[in-house]
Amino acid sequence: MSRLDALKTRIKEALPGLECVIGWQKGYDALHNTPLFIRGEADVDKLEWGALNVHNPAVYLPSFAGKKVGVVVKGCDSRSVVELLQEKLIDRDNVVIFSAGCDGVVDIAKVRAKLAAAGLSAGNAEKVTVDGKTVTVTAAGKAVSMPLAEVAADKCLRCQFPNAVLADAFVGDPAPQVQAAPAADADLAALDAMSVPERMAFWRYHMDRCIRCYACRNACPMCVCRDHCIAQSREPHWLSQEDSVTEKLMFQVVHAMHLAGRCTECGECQRACPMDIPVLALKKHLNRTIHDLFNYQAGVDVAAIPPLLQFKLEEDNIKERSW
Amino acid sequence: MRIGVFVCHCGSNIEGTVDTATVAKASLDFPEVVYATDTMYACSEPGQDGIIQAIKDKNLTGVVVASCTPRMHEPTFRRAVERAGLNRFMFEMANIREHVSWIGRDREANTNKSVDLVRIAVEKLRRDAPLIPSKFSVNKRVMVIGGGVAGIQAALDCADGGLEVVLVERESSIGGKMAKLDKTFPTVDCSSCILGPKMVDVAQHPNITLHAYSEVDSIGGYVGNFQVQVKKRATYVDWELCTGCGACMEKCPSKKNPDAFNEKIGPCTSINIPFPQAIPKKAVIDPTTCRQFVKGKCGVCAKVCPTGAIKYDMTDEIVTEDVGAIVAATGYDLFDISKVTEYGGGRYPDVITGLQYERLLSASGPTGGHIKRPSDGKEPKNIVFIQCVGSRDKSLDRPYCSGFCCMYTAKQTILTKDHIPDSQSYVFYMDIRSPGKMYDEFTRRAMEEYGARYIRGRVAMVYPKGDKMIVRGADTLAGTQVEIEADLVVLAAGAEAAKGAPQLAEKLRISYDKYGFFMESHPKLKPVETNTAGVYLAGSCQGPKDIPQSVGQGSAAAAKVLALFSKDMLESDPQISRVDIKRCVGCGKCIMTCPFKAIKEVEFRGQKKAEVIETVCQGCGICTSTCPQGAIQLSHFTDNQILAEVNALCQS
Amino acid sequence: MPVLTGKELRIVGFLCNWCSYGGADTAGVGRFNQPTDLRIIRVPCSGRIDPLFIAKTLINGADGVLVSGCHPRDCHYAEGNFYARRRLEVLKRFLPILGIDPARFDYTWVSASEGQRWQKVVTVFTEQIHALGPATRHENVSPELLAKVASAIQGGNRVAA
Repeated sequence: MSRLDALKTRIKEALPGLECVIGWQKGYDALHNTPLFIRGEADVDKLEWGALNVHNPAVYLPSFAGKKVGVVVKGCDSRSVVELLQEKLIDRDNVVIFSAGCDGVVDIAKVRAKLAAAGLSAGNAEKVTVDGKTVTVTAAGKAVSMPLAEVAADKCLRCQFPNAVLADAFVGDPAPQVQAAPAADADLAALDAMSVPERMAFWRYHMDRCIRCYACRNACPMCVCRDHCIAQSREPHWLSQEDSVTEKLMFQVVHAMHLAGRCTECGECQRACPMDIPVLALKKHLNRTIHDLFNYQAGVDVAAIPPLLQFKLEEDNIKERSW
Repeated sequence: MRIGVFVCHCGSNIEGTVDTATVAKASLDFPEVVYATDTMYACSEPGQDGIIQAIKDKNLTGVVVASCTPRMHEPTFRRAVERAGLNRFMFEMANIREHVSWIGRDREANTNKSVDLVRIAVEKLRRDAPLIPSKFSVNKRVMVIGGGVAGIQAALDCADGGLEVVLVERESSIGGKMAKLDKTFPTVDCSSCILGPKMVDVAQHPNITLHAYSEVDSIGGYVGNFQVQVKKRATYVDWELCTGCGACMEKCPSKKNPDAFNEKIGPCTSINIPFPQAIPKKAVIDPTTCRQFVKGKCGVCAKVCPTGAIKYDMTDEIVTEDVGAIVAATGYDLFDISKVTEYGGGRYPDVITGLQYERLLSASGPTGGHIKRPSDGKEPKNIVFIQCVGSRDKSLDRPYCSGFCCMYTAKQTILTKDHIPDSQSYVFYMDIRSPGKMYDEFTRRAMEEYGARYIRGRVAMVYPKGDKMIVRGADTLAGTQVEIEADLVVLAAGAEAAKGAPQLAEKLRISYDKYGFFMESHPKLKPVETNTAGVYLAGSCQGPKDIPQSVGQGSAAAAKVLALFSKDMLESDPQISRVDIKRCVGCGKCIMTCPFKAIKEVEFRGQKKAEVIETVCQGCGICTSTCPQGAIQLSHFTDNQILAEVNALCQS
Repeated sequence: MPVLTGKELRIVGFLCNWCSYGGADTAGVGRFNQPTDLRIIRVPCSGRIDPLFIAKTLINGADGVLVSGCHPRDCHYAEGNFYARRRLEVLKRFLPILGIDPARFDYTWVSASEGQRWQKVVTVFTEQIHALGPATRHENVSPELLAKVASAIQGGNRVAA
């Protein structure tokens, strides 16, 4: 039985006790899968599993607080579920986690680039098949094959958890561990290589494009403030509505600092950005800092306390400056 | 808002380096400032009257005073604006003295900086809201933790003041360190003769409940309404029945246990009353040595006890005491002399601590008041006292002076001469610290009348030779090496924080220093208060103290408690955190990080929300900087207020 | 009035009320001369200092930010500076990736009795900021540098994708 069929079987069994099960379905075109909310048995067959399931369905869980729901997750998504559980934003008794091994998902931008290189437009994609390690896209009647490794999301190239860290129903064989590819952290490496003033210019260049749509925030499973985000409130009034680079960058700083020790690097913020602003790099840098300082990784252990919500009397890696 | 700005000259303290008139004039450009003036002494009576008059004449709704530090006069000016009919929180200060005029002489820069400081005070004031304290009732019972002389004094003074007192003592008798002393300096009074009556008063006072052989297990609540769980440790003797007759001690077959009361230089029985004047005078069984516990058979005490008080199956018991204030008087412990290996303490029986020497001097001690050295019971003739063992020594992480060792050593040389007229005492010292009434005269007497030989210098090492101890050190005044053949060496072991002091501090939610001594609220002006309302300090738990200082602090702490309890209702500080229930998502991060457990989870229309317990919140604002959506705001220091200050500084 | 052009830089201090604000007072009482650049914002506890205040201050153009609280273990509120220490350290290490020199921000511990230490901290920090010079705001990045970085990004830097 395929992973998809096994998932469907398990979901059908559990569905009577659940308000809904969140997963993926075929989207508006062959390249895009979109979120699926399974409310009845007829919906179960719409479920998809595979390289086009790019969304992180954990983002929807807090809005179902108080109701018992199921969620289908990839390994990376499961870390968001763990983080939400850890922060008591969802209740373990009210969430049933379905999962299977994940061989990676595509980065649509990379697929688009490959198609463009073949003289094709992604808008014309008619059919997508993923066979083992190859993605084949048919557009305008012409099939283009590309290795999954070349069009996979960056996070898949360094994936530590191809299998869910927490699942109630894990079906099929676990996916093999991934050998981290250097390309996965090229974004950070590029920033690291710059001088401090160059980084300022870098953000000046990118943030200038920001249209303050907050898609990055809305896609983030850990942005639990939702309607009460301080980016748009007057009480407190952290940001003005001025369309300036400083205000727009300040929002990214707010987002990143609020995620310090909580971000699982699912990458949804950057994927959702319509202006292709590399906002994930900020969070990756912070995660690296948090790891260096506190030897901590978010979304792995439900019982852990996020490092900025605790302390040690003597910190291991914080040295006091002598004056 | 109609804001008035008052820029103080403070005589020439500010005006000397700040052009206050220019500052006042510049203030008029700030939003909502309708009145600004300079004033000679804002805090003086005419100065305050001027502010009050201006509030009335100009219909001011908020006031900024630019003068000294708010840590000095904020309360003064708050009362002044309150007298003029404003809420006292509609007031801000700009510190242009300590932070401006006193730290530089550049008048232009100082004036300019003063204007900036007024600017941010105005911006903060514009976002101030009137705050009204809430009132709550006070439980007028007080707990005193520790039954040494400081705790006894605090308990008696509170009880005499009409308060119900709960006294908790870790040992089986109150009395503390003072009960172990033979005589006290500088009067050479018999220690137990002056302490004994106070101990009896504690036992007989109708307002005092004594929990001996007990420890504080946990503390909840807040000023006026603490709940303290007291663990009454199992004594294996029913104290209701025990008459303190001592028959059990006479017959107990396990007689060779180190006697803690006698600082382990004498033996005691497994069932024991520590000393004849003990309060309460009740026996306790030590289950680690008692044959009934160790071997499972004996039962001699149970057989001889005339009242049938022995209960081998007794267990620890927890009792809850509700009190409105707590006095910590947990005293000190002695530095472990075995850590100074070159002196041989702990290795050689004839190298002992000053407190052990007190027990040798005491008529109720293991030698019946005859000085006999521990190794062979011989009367020592040459006795060497070494000062500052575990005091004033950075290498041992004990850089502080223990304060009372110089004096008790002088006393011990005097008593030595009284006990053994043909003896000779030698004292190695660093400096003699004898400030206090009749103290310096007393040390002089030790030297001049009693012939104690004081040698200024450190001892390098102490080692045995035959039945003598050789003490080798320096005489830095003579510039020579000294070697003394001693029969007995007495080390003036320094005082250190009582064992378990940091743990108790954490239960009390008070600060302690790196050595474990409790922190007072202000080193000069609030010596017995702590930063936790309703918790006071007495005696050596705050730092080494001699008897008169400890007694003085006991009385001072009692006065503070009586003053606190003189009101039926207390006002809580309204500068606390408040939750915007609409913004709260119930994640509980504020609850996790609050050091005072002042935030609880509540259910509101089926959703989890945070709620601040007003009386517990201390106003630190950790919650406010923890909450990602800014749903919990510390009043008077809200995000918007601090952001307004930041913006004012960045945009100016 | 702005900072004195050519003489002062914009340095903002966040000080806890109980220790460091008192330490700054003690320095004043002791007449310990200090540079005039620093403007102090008083907060109850270093634990009240959301690191975002510091980020906001620096992004909005301050040349330096100095935070000071009670020494670890001496916090008036027992734990505030322990939380602050972690958050401030994370922020300090975050600043360079934003293009802000981390030397523009420092945090330290000064007790109410340490007037001399406060004088030293203010003096050393102010000198440090003067050595760095006025800060550039993101908006004011030089066109040359912007063009250079932009061309590197368009020239195939993966970050831009």
